[in-house]
Amino acid sequence: MTRRSLERVKLAVVNLFFILLCFAVLIPILYALSVSLNADNSLLSANFSFLPKHFTLRNYRAVFVDEPIMLWLKNSLILAVITLLVSLGTGIPAAYIFSRKRFAGRRLILNALVLLYAFPSLLSMMALYKLLTPMGLINTRLGLIIVYTGTMAVFALWNMKGYFDTIPLEIEEAAKVDGASPVQIVTRIVLPLARPTIAVTAMMILIYVWNEYIFAINFMTGSDTYTLAAGLNSLQATEMSGSWPVFSAASLVVSFPILIIFFALQKNMTTGLTSGGVKG
Amino acid sequence: MNSDTKKKKKRADTLFAYLWSAPSLLLIFLIVIFPILYTGYISVTNMNVYHWNNYEFIGLQNYKDALLVFDNGFLSALFRTILWTAVNMVLQLILAYVLASLLNIKGLRLRNVYRTLLIFPWAMPGYVSILLWKTGMFNSQFGLLNQWLTKAGLEPVKWLGSNFMAFFSCTVVNLWLALPFMITIIDGALQSIDRSFYESAVLEGATWFERTRYITLPMIRPIIAPSVIITVFTTFKQFDVIYLLTQQVGSKTGADIHTILTYAYEKAFITNNYGYSSAISMMIFAMLIVFSWLSKANTKEASI
Amino acid sequence: MRRTGFLSLTVAAAVMLMCGCGAANSKLSEEEAHRIVIWHDKEDAVTGVLEEKLKELEPEVTIVLEKKSDLTESLKMVGNNPSAAPDMYFFAHDKIGVYAEMGILSPITDIIPAEELSGYMQNTLEAATYKGEIYQLPIYYETLLFLYNRRYMSDDAVPETTEELYDYMQEKTGGGHYGFVEQHSTPYYAAGWINGFGGRILNDDGTPGLNSDAVIAALAYHKKFADLMPGETEYATVNTLFNEGMAHATIGGPWLIPTVRESGIDVGAAPMPVIDETGTPIAPYMGVQGIQVLQYAASNKTESVEKVLRALMDPEVQISLAQASGCAPASEECYTMPEIADDEIVMTMKETAEHAVPMPNLPEMDVMWTVVGNLLTDVNMSDEDVAESAEKAQEEALSLIKTMQ
Repeated sequence: MTRRSLERVKLAVVNLFFILLCFAVLIPILYALSVSLNADNSLLSANFSFLPKHFTLRNYRAVFVDEPIMLWLKNSLILAVITLLVSLGTGIPAAYIFSRKRFAGRRLILNALVLLYAFPSLLSMMALYKLLTPMGLINTRLGLIIVYTGTMAVFALWNMKGYFDTIPLEIEEAAKVDGASPVQIVTRIVLPLARPTIAVTAMMILIYVWNEYIFAINFMTGSDTYTLAAGLNSLQATEMSGSWPVFSAASLVVSFPILIIFFALQKNMTTGLTSGGVKG
Repeated sequence: MNSDTKKKKKRADTLFAYLWSAPSLLLIFLIVIFPILYTGYISVTNMNVYHWNNYEFIGLQNYKDALLVFDNGFLSALFRTILWTAVNMVLQLILAYVLASLLNIKGLRLRNVYRTLLIFPWAMPGYVSILLWKTGMFNSQFGLLNQWLTKAGLEPVKWLGSNFMAFFSCTVVNLWLALPFMITIIDGALQSIDRSFYESAVLEGATWFERTRYITLPMIRPIIAPSVIITVFTTFKQFDVIYLLTQQVGSKTGADIHTILTYAYEKAFITNNYGYSSAISMMIFAMLIVFSWLSKANTKEASI
Repeated sequence: MRRTGFLSLTVAAAVMLMCGCGAANSKLSEEEAHRIVIWHDKEDAVTGVLEEKLKELEPEVTIVLEKKSDLTESLKMVGNNPSAAPDMYFFAHDKIGVYAEMGILSPITDIIPAEELSGYMQNTLEAATYKGEIYQLPIYYETLLFLYNRRYMSDDAVPETTEELYDYMQEKTGGGHYGFVEQHSTPYYAAGWINGFGGRILNDDGTPGLNSDAVIAALAYHKKFADLMPGETEYATVNTLFNEGMAHATIGGPWLIPTVRESGIDVGAAPMPVIDETGTPIAPYMGVQGIQVLQYAASNKTESVEKVLRALMDPEVQISLAQASGCAPASEECYTMPEIADDEIVMTMKETAEHAVPMPNLPEMDVMWTVVGNLLTDVNMSDEDVAESAEKAQEEALSLIKTMQ
């Protein structure tokens, strides 16, 4: 066998593996898809098939017509975009500073941050509520945005700082010799190099805001302020009410925008560093 | 430059550093640190259903009571939590590494399609996924897994019934939820490695194993380290997977796979005694600090 | 440029924190005083009726109905924050003890004089009473029902005693079919058996009764039934088994009936089987669904609150709501009206309710659900010794209750 055909066999095997793996990974989601397209009002059945026996789009119509999903979408979008901007806007400078500068208290703060992240969040909600109430931030978007950015700030700072550490200082020094200003160095050199980590961090933040419902329900009471995740949660089939197929349909509808964003962001992650020069 | 101007410069640098990181640190203070301080404060009061607004300082009474929770059940839950974290992290890293490496094989045209499909689980709200797994996959009567087993002529399995199976099933779900992130991180790290390193290594006759051991791993380690550390803590405090799959009131499965958080939840949080449960949270937190301090002292790994 | 924006935003937040400027409250605006927010966890059919009826109060009172899936937890957090809390909530009576102790509920009698409540069935009012005060305006009540699939079980073949039921189960269980299924390890369902033996999960004085002989006997007896049911018996499984015609009979709530009928099953409801050992029927918990008023609304929006409550006291409204939910209305006089008196399911429920035990509304009950859930799991699924497990659970309950205080 020639080297080339060996390569080809290898690729075919890898492709087959990934096709099977993707199918296996998607089984629960295909399951939800099938339930959402099935006219029978049940999540479970003794003889399940991925192709619905009584095909219907009724559940999707129910999601779009009976529920104010566009309002939820708008609320989610506003929160997601602002949270993303604030998180990156505060996180990038902080991460950069913590990566490049050496100053008193730096080590302590970095060490403390991860530990703080480990605190069981079961209780912190009550405390947050008590904090935001006197500030008049309950039932306001600003309050929720502060909560979201604060929650993700540790991750953003820690994650991006780690990546900045791997970008060699020499590149910046060379630019400095060429007469670039500090701001230019960051925006023209560091940020493009750090695109993968910014993309990952942005993804994490987006997914968090998109799927978070506990704060969304409790800190913004009133169904006209529901986000997609909060609305989805209110559709949840409980013992007495709710419809599994509608819930499944809504779950898929909610996940779809995120999937598109994944796809869009992925290009950024793959073309991030081709110039080489990452220190080991 | 005399030492005085040096000192001045240093002070200016520090000020500059804090100024630029202030917004981020302030947010962290508000949303992360303050609640912990507040929890500490509640833990020395008698805030509970009977003293909701008129709670008062009762000193360390709650801590004294809380020591009762640290019984045998707690110790085995603690052991299980550590096992859970270790098993999940090891599997996560190995699987993510293998998959990310395969994704980076030269000539794989559909890699972006695979990438997007593989991270789909990440896009769904966690509780929805867990619900789907529980009722759709694991249900012993109607779950897909058992339907397939029966069709294949095998005995149906109680996926969440026994301790071992429940631990296994929870691990599968946790991996399903967590792998997309890990794959993305490692995938990104792999792509940042300069191809020329490999080329010269191949020229020198290095095997795949040697390339992995001496080039790939040392190269990606610093890049993925922060995400891995964060994930360790996320895994440690994972509550939803185990609670929703096996311990939810009304649909307990008979398996006892409590971690310290689900255990503390059943022993403290359901009492609506906030003072008491805060004391327990603070003690778990203190334990975490000791643990991470010990592990750091042992491995000297944290290269901050 | 952008960063200065963020800086000032956070600085603004910090300033707000320091001066602690709370939301301006004092006098309610005209509009706010006439806006009543009601939280609930009900199905769409019930909400629809409620919405339509309360629309009639406009323009004097505007009603906002909000569905909360985690209503009880949310209330704990926001209960005493008027800007976030609802004015009323529509929920079962079993949480009133907790909220009354927290001081966020107002007695109904502060608004509606007690003598006007005399038309309600006595046991619904008892359920609504905590420490001598009535905290809930009852609307309808529910109990679990013995439901059967007429395809397998004809009306005259319905087991009258538990032993008959057991024989039926032994005969019919197998090959994927089950003679009878219930959520055997869920406290709400198992409570019927415990109560039928004269045992109590929580005594009226707030002490747990899990190690009593009656409870132990009930658990031991109940286990032989559980052994003939599938291992997993949470709601989804039981519901689907019955829905797909694989379980011949079940004990379930009235909320099950619409979906069962939709899947084409001719479902019948019968009185609970009599337990041979004690001569009393299985006695499930009774839950009274009704309106609770939050303290802030009661003292600041008294007029509007009263209008809403009075509207819901109308027997006609109760009947429509009861029919929408499949439950039984709380006012005595409804039962003289033909639409209720002719309803097989509702009348069966009323009969079941004569033996039913109102769910305890004491705060202590909060921890009992978990403890009893563990106990049932230990006995039914892990095959542990009944008396030992009961003793262990009793101790556990005692220590948790002590922790509450």
